[in-house]
This record gives sequence, structure tokens and C-alpha cells, in this order.
Amino acid sequence: MTVGQPPPDPVETRLDRLRGRAIPVNHDARTIAALAANPGCVRRALMDAAGVRKQDIAAHVGLPAPFGMSVFARTRGTAFEALVKENSASLLLALLREHIGLDVASAHYHDLNLVGAGESTPLWHARTRQQLLGADPRTHTMFDHPLLRLKVGGRYAYLEPDLLALHHEGRWYVVEVKSFAIIDGRADPEKVAAAAIQSAVYVHALRDLLGVDANLVHHETILVAPENFASTPAAARLDVRKQLGVIGRQLARIASIEHLLGNYPDDLTFDLDPGPDGRPRRPPGELRDAIETVVANYAPDCLATCDLCFVCRDESRSQGDTGVLGKSVREDLGGIESVHQALGLARGALAPAPEREEVSRKLRHAAAIWDEITTAAGPA
Amino acid sequence: MIGSVAETIEAIERRIDELRVAVREAVRAGDNELATAHRAQLRRAEEAWDDALTTIAAAPPEPPEAVDQSRPAEPSGSLLPLREQVYEALSLLQVPAAPKLIATVHEAFFGSTFPTTRVTSLKRDEERSFRSAPFARPYYICAALSADYLAPSRGLLAVSTWPLERRMIGSLSPRVDFLTAAMRVAEAIERIPEPPPAARRLLQRFAASIPGGSAPGAGANPAAVKEAAAAELTVHTDADDRARHEAAERARQLKQPEQLFGTASFRDIAREAAGE
Repeated sequence: MTVGQPPPDPVETRLDRLRGRAIPVNHDARTIAALAANPGCVRRALMDAAGVRKQDIAAHVGLPAPFGMSVFARTRGTAFEALVKENSASLLLALLREHIGLDVASAHYHDLNLVGAGESTPLWHARTRQQLLGADPRTHTMFDHPLLRLKVGGRYAYLEPDLLALHHEGRWYVVEVKSFAIIDGRADPEKVAAAAIQSAVYVHALRDLLGVDANLVHHETILVAPENFASTPAAARLDVRKQLGVIGRQLARIASIEHLLGNYPDDLTFDLDPGPDGRPRRPPGELRDAIETVVANYAPDCLATCDLCFVCRDESRSQGDTGVLGKSVREDLGGIESVHQALGLARGALAPAPEREEVSRKLRHAAAIWDEITTAAGPA
Repeated sequence: MIGSVAETIEAIERRIDELRVAVREAVRAGDNELATAHRAQLRRAEEAWDDALTTIAAAPPEPPEAVDQSRPAEPSGSLLPLREQVYEALSLLQVPAAPKLIATVHEAFFGSTFPTTRVTSLKRDEERSFRSAPFARPYYICAALSADYLAPSRGLLAVSTWPLERRMIGSLSPRVDFLTAAMRVAEAIERIPEPPPAARRLLQRFAASIPGGSAPGAGANPAAVKEAAAAELTVHTDADDRARHEAAERARQLKQPEQLFGTASFRDIAREAAGE
């Protein structure tokens, strides 16, 4: 097995130049999931392919994003995971027996983290591989702490999932433990969506590892989360086929990054020009120009997933981009790119092109209703 | 055997628990007088508990009667050194266990607990002690070994005097040990006339993970847990015994310290595997 850098090629050199002198960031399931959240964003695709440390860039232009999990959320997450997995995942086993009909004899438990975190990750990955592909499938039930990996933009990203791989009736399942509550059979849709896309990253990586037949890894994953207001775990199945498609496309897009690179000048770089003390010396205005050379696709959802979100929001606002108002508004305004243009059409100050006749009529109608309401409410 | 002094101590402990609840309820109800009265009673009970403990410590050890391995030698408070507390809990469970379970068992049946972080360094100290003077102590707190590489199994502690087979951890062993521990805990509860709440909670947690271990609505019943655990054990025992026996045969080739604390060569083995 070879691990490490592929031989340098022109694309790799371009990506290195984009990143500058910074150390490339490592992807994890969260960042790979975020890639798939906004597939239309070239800015993000380029920066992620080059391994640019986006939070440093955002901080240097003065618009850092306040990211990270709160200490409380992290502690709760860790405690719940420990509860589900304690005594070799006995609670989880009970849940799986009830939920997917695991038979009583299937109670094997392998801990793949014998090497221990902090030691060699390739070694840990090798052990995962060796055990999952191991000779005797009769001893396969639960595998705790598998270390998976995915190739993102020419580099391997190691995924250290808080999950178990489960072998049942000849197929593999990804089991992910999350600490948000399932209340009355329902959970926060945003959190479920985030969990689904993360699980999809693991399914993708597990399929990559097992290699043979993609169907061996089930497209349904098992989400384990606390039920109602207690910490009793409950299980639910998540179908992640759609997310798998998005991730596959996005990873392929990063792999064929040379097409995107072709649209931008050769000397484009996001280098911070660090001084001897490690402090960035590049003028923030110049860096900002470099960032804005590459097209972004800002939507309010970015605020939850991307370190550059405040930079892109600021840019979108100053340009009057309709994306600032959210994806649904942008779609309703089909083809109208700026808020200024939309207002002009609504007030009749701009003459609509024939293909915008329909949307202009809607806008004028909306403006009329708005005027009625404001005049009625105004003087009274 | 649980002696008469110990029974008194248990009665006092129950009284302390009840009084704490009474104090809390009085404070919550805003009844200061009642709270003060309960607090005074609580202090007296705590003093009585200290006295009873001193009596135990001063009393000559009871002659060893037909020793039942599955029960603790002597109930005690937290005055014992950590290794002996761990030994007590492991002797009750009779299977390798993680520090958290050991601490919970000790709290449930011996009335005191300890931070699990201290247990981590315990194994290291034991190994150092064994290497400098082998077999100087009657027992050591040692490792359970993974059946594949005979490396120390992460986070599990065992007792050196147990048969080697019991310290081998194959893929079914965690489940088998869990079920065995459930049976031991159920038996220990059956021996106590009025089991403390901590012990009941522990049994309840075992019951929740064993099919047929608890009836819905009702609390966990020791007999039911024992029966359910035994039923599931019959499914796993043969395969698990084979794996453990085979691993123990290999482990016997190791030097004494490695037999007790595991091999360090896992990384080399894995590196070979990685270079496939």
C-alpha cells in the first residue's frame, strides 16, 4: 500500500501555488460533507482541492467565522457515545437486535483501535482493512473505531469516525452515533441532514476500502441518537443514496480540478506571506482581490458549513446579489442576478427583456401589494 | 461472608442515604427547622459509620471459610488501597472489566467508589512492581490480552491469579464477559437482604442490554437477569471457549511479564501486515 504524495504534476504545482506556504489542511468527514453542501461553489472547490486553510484567510481579511462546537455540546456528545459503546457496545447490540433483527449468535465485537489514536494512522488504516477483509466472516459483527480514508484532491484524508461498521446478512452498514435528540420520532431536520451527509462520506469511504462490490455496503445507514429527553439510545435508518451521489460528483470534480484551474490566472495565490514570526504580511486588500477573482456561490446555508461564509456574504451584499436572500428567493427570481435589477423591474424603472416578462409581472404585482400595505399602515 | 458488623454498616449507609433525601426535601420545601434536625441526625449517622468502620479495621480477620470465589472477601470502605478495591470488584465480577464498570461495582456493593483516571496508572504500577520483584505479591492487577496479537486489550483489567483463558479476549469474549458479569451481579444482589439503590441501578443497566432481562414496566429482577444471561451464554460459550483456549495456548509461550501485561510487539506485527 502506498501512502503519501503522488509525483508532482502541473495541477499539483498550481494547487501548491494557490495554497502558498501554508501547510495543507486535512479533510475530515465534516469538511468533505461541507463540500457536498454547496456543489456550485467554485471558490470552495478550488480552496479545498488546494488544502487552503480557509479560517486563516477569512481572519486575515477581517471576517473570521465563529466556528467550532461548544464545550457543552462536545461533552454531551462524548458522554452519549461512551454510554452507547460501554461494555463493548452492549446497549447498541440490544438496539440492533431489535431494529435490524440481528440474531443472538451475532455478537462479535472487534476494537480496531488497538494501535491507539495518536500513533501511526496508516497503520491503523491497515489494521482496519485487514480486519474488515479478514478471512472468517463468521466472526464479523461489530467493528468499533475503524479508520477509513478518502482521496481528496490528490491527498488522502483519514476519517476517524465515531462509528461502527456492522456486518449483517452479508452486507455492511455504517452505524453513526449522534447526540441530538430524537423527540417523538422526529429530530431537527438540519441536524439529520448533516448526519446523513456525514454518514454518506463514511459509506463512500467504506466502499472504497472494501473495493469489490459497491452494493456490499448498504446505502441505508443506522443513526443512533438519544430518545426524547433521556439518554436512552434509539436507532433510525437513513437512506443516503442522494448524498452519496452528490459526494461522488463533488469528489470527481475536485479530482478533475484542472478544468476549473484553467479559468484563472496562473499566478493566482491565497498565500498569506507569513513573516519570520509566522504573522501574515500580505496586504488584506490584495488577498481579498485574489479571493474575489474566483466565483463563489453564496447562500445563507453557507453560514453553517464554510469558514469563508462572512467574506462571501459581505461580497454578495455589496454587489446586491440575490443569493443573499436565500436559495428559494434566488430561484423565484429566476435569471435576475441583482437585487438592484429586481427592484428596478418591480418599479417599472427598467424595461424587461422578453424572457423576463413573466417574472417582471410578478414583481410589479408584489410591489403594488407592498405599496397598498405601506400606504394603509403609514398615516393611520 | 458478610459479617454482623458489616450488616450494621450497611444499615447505617442506608440510613445516611435516607437522611440525605430528607434533608434535600426539607430544604426544597423551605422548612429550615426540619432541615436542621435532619442534618444533625445525618451527622450522627456519619459518625456512627466511621466508628463501625474502625471496629472492622480493628477486628481480627475472619478465618477463611469455604471461599466462594464469586463473592468479596470482606466488605469495606474506601480505606483500602486502590488495588485492593479493584481486586474486590474484579473478584465479584470474575471477568476482565473496564475501570468504569469496576468503579460502579465497587460503589454498588462495597459502598465506595474511586475516579477511573487513577485506575489507568494502577496497571502501570503493577507491571513495574512485577518486573522488579516477580510474584512478590499474592496477586497483581494485570491486563486482558487480545486473542489475535496477545496485546493488552484496551482499557480492560484482570487479576493475575485467574486462569489464562479467562484473560484472553476473542471477538465473542466481550459479550460473554458482559453476560457473565450480569450473572455475578445478579447473584451478589440475591445475597443481600436489602440491596442498595446503586446495586439495583447496576442490575437495571445490565438487564436493559440482555434480551428477556427485564419485563417492561417492572424493575430488573435478579433471577430473570440470571436466567436470560445464562440462556444467551449457551449460544456463545462453545465458540468463545475455543477462541480463548487457542489464544491461551499461544500466550503460554510468552515470558511471564508478557503473559500478564501483554506483548509490546503489536506495532511490528501490524507494520508487517501493512507492508503486504
